[in-house]
Amino acid sequence: MSLPPASGTGRYFAKAAKSIRLIRQGCTNRPFFHISVTHRRRLNSQPVIEQLGSYDPMPNINNEKLVALNLERLKYWLGKGAHVSTPVSELLGLSGFFPIHPRTYMTAWRNRQQERENLAKQEAENAKEQTAAT
Amino acid sequence: MFSQSSYLKRTIPLFIQTAGAHRKPRWLPVAKSKVYRIPKRPTTSEEERVELLRLHNNYKTQMRAIRRFYHEDMIKEKSTKDSASSEMSQQLEADEWARCFELNEKWNAEISAAREERRKLEIAKLEEYTLARMEAKDKELQIKIKKASEKIREQKELSKTFITPENLDEAIDLAIANPTDYNYAIDMKGMKFEGRDTIISYPKEDKNVAAN
Repeated sequence: MSLPPASGTGRYFAKAAKSIRLIRQGCTNRPFFHISVTHRRRLNSQPVIEQLGSYDPMPNINNEKLVALNLERLKYWLGKGAHVSTPVSELLGLSGFFPIHPRTYMTAWRNRQQERENLAKQEAENAKEQTAAT
Repeated sequence: MFSQSSYLKRTIPLFIQTAGAHRKPRWLPVAKSKVYRIPKRPTTSEEERVELLRLHNNYKTQMRAIRRFYHEDMIKEKSTKDSASSEMSQQLEADEWARCFELNEKWNAEISAAREERRKLEIAKLEEYTLARMEAKDKELQIKIKKASEKIREQKELSKTFITPENLDEAIDLAIANPTDYNYAIDMKGMKFEGRDTIISYPKEDKNVAAN
């Protein structure tokens, strides 16, 4: 038994290219995203065809960023040939639905590099202070 | 070029606010202070570029496979749906309906049994409550009757002294024989002199005290 679609109010054209993307729904200083299917050439402020999930980028009290996904409908739209935007494919990769996106790896190694540099800088500063003290 | 009235008569506003309203319009030139500013180009090392290329190639290949899989899946599902809409699916639906019906019947029976039990309990409780109330009312009535009978007994005892037509003459004689006078006078000191015709006379000592 398939679930009913969480349908949007946007007009649907069968042959137009679709895209699965994040659509910002929060307010100022409080981002919140819907994962929705729209036509590829449509603006994010316009009504969508269907909502497939949600993503809350702000960590909650347990330090979690919550993502909800309707995988059944996602499969359906992928079968229809919908394009998937990079941030959404990153999320899907982390959730295990897709392979891990290269961008995820890239941000990870860049973050690691940054951390290493910061540590080296701090150590150098500490050494300098010690020499100054002695 | 345009007169002011033509601007005012426009049906569509000149600037439509969109999501990108915080950006500078496309046709405005670069600010004077930023003309000679050359933004720094992002640089990636050769090593990183090669690694990213490799990752992207892998990712694209895998994604192509996944996409094809879902596409084929969809086509297969569609074809099965179309073919099986006649007998198989009808049979399946009928079976599903029968199963649901049976389950519903079972649940209804369970619920009705539970309801019966609950109703019995409720009725027993109500009976108890009513009986208790009736008893309390009876007790109250009994107490009232007791009080009333007591009062009647008192009145009966009192009725022996009542004046009736038989002993009316006697009563009149008695009243005439013992007249009572409720009149009295009070002097300045608070002394009370009963009777209408009593002559006021103080004791002698009191007179002396009054003279002094």
